[in-house]
Amino acid sequence: MSYELIALFMFASMMALLLTGQRVFGVIGAVAVIAALPLWGTGGVEIAFTQSIKLMKWYPLLTLPMFIFMGYMLSESRIADDLYRMFHVWFGPVPGGLAIGTIFLMVVISAMNGLSVAGMAIGATIALPELLRRNYDKVMITGVIQGGSSLGILIPPSVVLVLYGMIARQPVSQLWLAGVFPGLLMAGLFILYIAIRCQLQPHLGPPLSREERDAITWKERISLLRAGFLPFMIFFLMNGLFLMGYTSLVESSAVGAVASMGAAFIKGRLSREVMENVMRKTLGISCMFMWIILAALCFGAVFDGLGAVRAIENFFLGQLGLEPWHVLILMQLSFLLMGTFLDDTAMLVIVAPLYVPLVKVLGFDLVWYGVLYTITCQIAYMTPPFGYNLFLMRAMAPPEIKLRHIYQSVIPFVAVMLLTLVIVMMFPELALWLPHQFLGKLQG
Amino acid sequence: MKFIESYIRAVDAFNRRIGRFAMYLIFALMGVLFWSSVTKYAGSPALWTLELAQFIMVGYYLLGGAYSMQMGDHVRMDLIYGGWSPRRKAAVDSITVLFLIFYLCVLLYGGISSATYAIEWGERAHSVWRPYMWPVKLVAVFGILLMLLQTIAELFRDILFLRGVSVNHASEAGL
Repeated sequence: MSYELIALFMFASMMALLLTGQRVFGVIGAVAVIAALPLWGTGGVEIAFTQSIKLMKWYPLLTLPMFIFMGYMLSESRIADDLYRMFHVWFGPVPGGLAIGTIFLMVVISAMNGLSVAGMAIGATIALPELLRRNYDKVMITGVIQGGSSLGILIPPSVVLVLYGMIARQPVSQLWLAGVFPGLLMAGLFILYIAIRCQLQPHLGPPLSREERDAITWKERISLLRAGFLPFMIFFLMNGLFLMGYTSLVESSAVGAVASMGAAFIKGRLSREVMENVMRKTLGISCMFMWIILAALCFGAVFDGLGAVRAIENFFLGQLGLEPWHVLILMQLSFLLMGTFLDDTAMLVIVAPLYVPLVKVLGFDLVWYGVLYTITCQIAYMTPPFGYNLFLMRAMAPPEIKLRHIYQSVIPFVAVMLLTLVIVMMFPELALWLPHQFLGKLQG
Repeated sequence: MKFIESYIRAVDAFNRRIGRFAMYLIFALMGVLFWSSVTKYAGSPALWTLELAQFIMVGYYLLGGAYSMQMGDHVRMDLIYGGWSPRRKAAVDSITVLFLIFYLCVLLYGGISSATYAIEWGERAHSVWRPYMWPVKLVAVFGILLMLLQTIAELFRDILFLRGVSVNHASEAGL
């Protein structure tokens, strides 16, 4: 059997086994070791365990449990609730203002944690009921929260970029910095969309009424600004110390985790129950991620050993005569397509080991591709029928939001995300300018 | 039957205890990394912190693995699976889980061989601190073994469930 055929067989059997619903890490790992054994005999036996040592030595991975901990701390202890009230009061008077304020809120939350779950929890449980009460359009605000919370994985810190960095062997600090402007651009485009839409159809996002506005005193407005103080401190301790070169990437994640705990304590919300939930969920999610990465590394190593990437490159460039750019666009399209029906975590670890080496041999910048990859993941998280965010939303949102609304709501936001993707593809500088300013100045 | 049932209960209880211990390792991890930034700020960075943190991380996810499986945290692709009845899920699972068991066996074999090597030759890490490698490898082997025991327990649980006996089966816990 030729190596290409084995590669194809591995991929197909993995897909088939995944469909049976067995645990993702088990499927990926089993396919990898079953392929490795006949290929390399006894040498192939060790390949599975060797990956755990490789995993251990890749130290940015230490940030993973820290950021998961932080994310759950922020959502379980509800320290970001006051922040919502602040944006609410300040943006309320504009048509669609509360929705715009919600996007700002999501940007702030994204800057404090690396997954979309914290933003989603705060958005669906606090912002959503409040917006519904004020007669905002159901479908639009559902989309606002889903689109907004997905910024969590693009704006640093980002767990997805940590995982990408591991597979692409790129420094995580560079990747994170690369995510800043595309993330802000996307947030800006979201806001633009909401503002235009609410100008054209004012009933979608009615401004706060005169009486209600007058009821809020200036004293209250100023005092609410203080709600932003704690999140700002967390942000500063984590990102500020890192960018100034005092702490390394991994250390700053621990500082962030301690700071989030401190903030919860100051707010008097560090109860036994919160602590138990945060620790339990952190362990569960971290283990889920780590075991999948362990298996995916093994899969990737076998795939690498087969030289499958060279074969694929040869097929596209040599036999089909395509330009590298065409291949890149095809890759993103297939990625998007897979994203609509594949489980997201699985996709994350399956797609990266396949695509990243290909991008490299095509001669593209891997830091830049990291941003494209993350935006594509964001879209995949939101596209029906299978999207992590869709289900999370269903579980957290008030009952009057039906699955139909959730599916409907993502359409304009996915369009905005696609637009961002195209812009970043056309202007790589957007992603690469900031990391180049800090090149060689940061630790890890 | 009685034996299988008590095996499941014993493994569940033991792994739960180990997992609860692993859960607290996150604070050890935080502490070590925090100490690392403090000593660096004080001008004399500690040399051992990063490696120790890596060792703790290995303990965290490998020792916690079995407990997280018990809690049903490991994702499945539920495109088709999600729509099945509990019986059907158990039936399919009890076959496909053999793949998982095979993977864990290979992982365990590699781990034992790597740990044996580390003990025999006194393997050390290539760093300034030069710690011995066998303790972390033994922890890894132990974690993988627990995962294997838990997976076998899951298989037994499904088989018993198909025969009408439920030992904390997921379909009853509402998971």
